[in-house]
Amino acid sequence: MRSHLARALTAAALLLTGANAAEAHIVAARLGDFYMGASHPLTDLQDVLLWTATGLLAGTLGAARGRWLILVFPLGLLAGLPFASLFGAAATQLADATMMLAIGMLLAAAAQVPTFVLCAIAFAVAVIRGAANGAELGPETDRLLFAAGLACAGYTVITLTMALTAVFRQTTSDNSASWRAIAVRALGGWIAAIGLMMASLALAT
Amino acid sequence: MNLHISRALTTAIAAIALTQPALAHEQAGVAGGLASGLLHPVTGIDHLIAMVAVGIWGAQLGAPAIWILPITFPLVMAVGGVLGVLHVPLPMPELMIAISAVILGVAVAARLRLPFAAAAAIVAIFAIFHGHAHGAELPRAANALAYGVGFVTATGLLHLCGIMIGTLTRWPAGERIIQGLGAGIAGIGCYFLAQGLGAVA
Repeated sequence: MRSHLARALTAAALLLTGANAAEAHIVAARLGDFYMGASHPLTDLQDVLLWTATGLLAGTLGAARGRWLILVFPLGLLAGLPFASLFGAAATQLADATMMLAIGMLLAAAAQVPTFVLCAIAFAVAVIRGAANGAELGPETDRLLFAAGLACAGYTVITLTMALTAVFRQTTSDNSASWRAIAVRALGGWIAAIGLMMASLALAT
Repeated sequence: MNLHISRALTTAIAAIALTQPALAHEQAGVAGGLASGLLHPVTGIDHLIAMVAVGIWGAQLGAPAIWILPITFPLVMAVGGVLGVLHVPLPMPELMIAISAVILGVAVAARLRLPFAAAAAIVAIFAIFHGHAHGAELPRAANALAYGVGFVTATGLLHLCGIMIGTLTRWPAGERIIQGLGAGIAGIGCYFLAQGLGAVA
């Protein structure tokens, strides 16, 4: 009985000491930084709010004007990454808030923004957020993979938000169409309100 | 032996039944900021009834108030929020919030039909006071942005509740219910007003 117990304990000890960490994801293949770049902005409320607001604005203006952002937005994110050392994540707070306020006001007013202005706003948002995301990178991070992940996330979020907004606003009945437009405008009012308060907080601190 | 086992089992069941989750990081970070922002307008009864009353009154007034209010009210409230963040004092903020509940409740109960500009001006003045109270909490929040998102969303949803309740005006019996609700809101507002003036403990 004792020898059985001793064997079992020895086997258990051997198994425990020989165990390796389970690597369900391909982090070891150095693609972990790609996923980090893709997931990092989705865990930051500033990114989520600003990316969604930009997609909403483009979606309300229609596919013809909005489709430029599929290219402009990811490029802006890439362009912003090198500025990470100049502007820290905290330094972009006022710029983030101002962009929230501006985009929210345009949405609330249902303004018909020209394509050039829309692209300029989206590029500015992308550069600011690209810099903020890059500011949190460690020296061990593969910047190329991180940038690729960030650009892919930007492309996906902007395209999906634009498409969903455009589909949401397309309806067969006039009454429903007006209510849906009001819902998008109300959301714009909420975004502008958040931006206004955050701008005041950034200026106050 | 059986007695020991049954005692041990009873103790174990009682211990498991009485356990509570360990909240090591309660009200921290984004989740804490969002939760406190969402709860702030809902847990203050004076805020809650005034926000709902604005929605009901907007529904009673019809177009354009019913669609302009949800778009502009959070923005005007944010102006009050800015004053709160910047510690700009407003005269008698608690009394004004109570008065807002009284006046908005009376407006709903009496089906007061003011010109849109006058109704918007009344609502805007009260919105600034309500926003001021929320804005003062902003710098102390676990996550200021999450708090802002939470309180703007909660306010918007309370409006939506008011507008949904206001749709009862399509039916005569619904109109009576809404008028009763307005009277109730005014009554609660009177209680807070009396409390603010020191007449009630």
